[in-house]
Amino acid sequence: MFKFMSKPKKAMVYTVLVLATVWMLIPFLWTLENAFKPSIKLFEPGAAIPFLQYQPTLEHWNFALFHQSVIKGLINSIVVSLGTTGIVLIIGTMAGYALARYRFSYVKNKDLTIFFLSQRVLPPVVVLIPFFIILMRINLVDTRLGLILVNVTFNLPFGILIMRSIFNEIPVAIEESAFVDGANDYQVFWRIALPLAKNGLLATALIVFAFSWNEALFALTLTGAKAQTLPVMILSARSTRGVRFGFAAVNTILAIGPPIILTIFLQSNLARGLTFGALKE
Amino acid sequence: MAGKSRAAKFVFLLPALLWVLGFVLYPLINSFSLSFFRYTLGRGREAFIGVQNYIDIFNSPEFWFTLKITIYYVLITVTAETLLGLFLAWMVNKRIQFQNFFRTVYTLPIFTTTVAVGYLGVTIFHETGGLANWVMGWFGLDIQWLSSATGAFASSVILDIWRWTPFAFIILLAGLQGVSKSRYEAAMLDTNSSFQIFRYVELPAIRFSLLLVVMLRMVRAFKVFGLPFSLTGGGPGRSTVFYTLYVYRTSMKYFDFGHGAAMAYVLLIIVMIVIFQLFRLLRESFAAE
Repeated sequence: MFKFMSKPKKAMVYTVLVLATVWMLIPFLWTLENAFKPSIKLFEPGAAIPFLQYQPTLEHWNFALFHQSVIKGLINSIVVSLGTTGIVLIIGTMAGYALARYRFSYVKNKDLTIFFLSQRVLPPVVVLIPFFIILMRINLVDTRLGLILVNVTFNLPFGILIMRSIFNEIPVAIEESAFVDGANDYQVFWRIALPLAKNGLLATALIVFAFSWNEALFALTLTGAKAQTLPVMILSARSTRGVRFGFAAVNTILAIGPPIILTIFLQSNLARGLTFGALKE
Repeated sequence: MAGKSRAAKFVFLLPALLWVLGFVLYPLINSFSLSFFRYTLGRGREAFIGVQNYIDIFNSPEFWFTLKITIYYVLITVTAETLLGLFLAWMVNKRIQFQNFFRTVYTLPIFTTTVAVGYLGVTIFHETGGLANWVMGWFGLDIQWLSSATGAFASSVILDIWRWTPFAFIILLAGLQGVSKSRYEAAMLDTNSSFQIFRYVELPAIRFSLLLVVMLRMVRAFKVFGLPFSLTGGGPGRSTVFYTLYVYRTSMKYFDFGHGAAMAYVLLIIVMIVIFQLFRLLRESFAAE
């Protein structure tokens, strides 16, 4: 809107905006508070002001961070998410580039794109049992590698589609002149196209990282004590420990921290990333 | 283009294509064939029983209950998230101060780990020491959030709305920001009402984004798992056993792979029907632009 608003209207708009801000932030503030509140004060949501109403403490952090399963879950989550992101970026970027820059004739580019798009619609639970059986056969149940294979499978179509749309937006002229200068396909891809797609690559990497970080169903099914990720650890803590506010808060911070930091970095590329570039076709 | 080789395009495409064929198509076919067998872990593929697994499912009251609450969940959350997201995007798109601040805050929940959000919800909706009932206390209310069926369903929905409204918000905001200045200017010659402008300029312009949001959210909502599971554990009773959890339990707790595979296929078919309808609308609105 390019109009100035009247005073009462303005007041109304800001009231709504502030209310929505409170709604979005409250769970974060509640978590932060519980993570530092002494156990005896935990069941009093009213005691909300640190130092005045309660003395902040690190007891929950000490408890959680010396807890073997928490550290293990954190490391597993990091390894699995990074591994997934790496493989998706390599294979997905290549395929996205192929779809954006080459013409396939036997099966057309459009059909290939729709084929990859259709994977996004698949409810993952449909392939839960086959994956379990396959990983059992090749001895990869309860390993990080097994979980990486699964996560790559679910993120690869997304990686391909978003990279395709990123390459589509990059003017092709620079690459063409490199061909004229005698470069071959691989040199053009590696030295020219990839550097131009740097920002897109970064956005894709961050989104894939966050998706794998978030995955719970397959992690729960395919991992046990050894390779369990943070979400699995949280699910088992929930059922064995019941409700421990402090422990829950610390784990929530550990689990949401990395993706939240990514979100703040991602701001400008977010909408396009989340719609697989469908908005700017 | 002179320098392009025919081999290169296959080198680029094949790894991804083979990966998807191997890890998606093969399991899909495998799972489809499993659904026609009596198959439990340990005893293996016992007997081909045709569509018996499907008949069992359709005869089971648990299946119909799970399907019912899952559809309610999808309809309620997707409607609420789309409308709220649209409303917030419309507000933020006005000429306001601190636009970047509001935009950032409204997108913060977008990448929070759903399982962690559910676990956090356990403390928020805790009936004696939780935040929700503390606030309800101001109005003299004391709600049984997690110990009643309706309460558990409602808390799942509320957390889901918190977690996913930002998704609708960010996409619809991008859509609104794409509305050209000239369209606004033309409309302002005729009217002063921002509602009229919304109805006749903005809404038609973001039709495509709106449909996209509904479609992407519906797909996700149908397969919802982590958030309600870590919040309620499916309880009390079976009151929040949504579809994916239902399949997970059948397959991985009772190791009844045959029934599990058949249930999963029923979900796939339901989602595909919904998606095809939405996709048709999407294509029409894409063509109209």
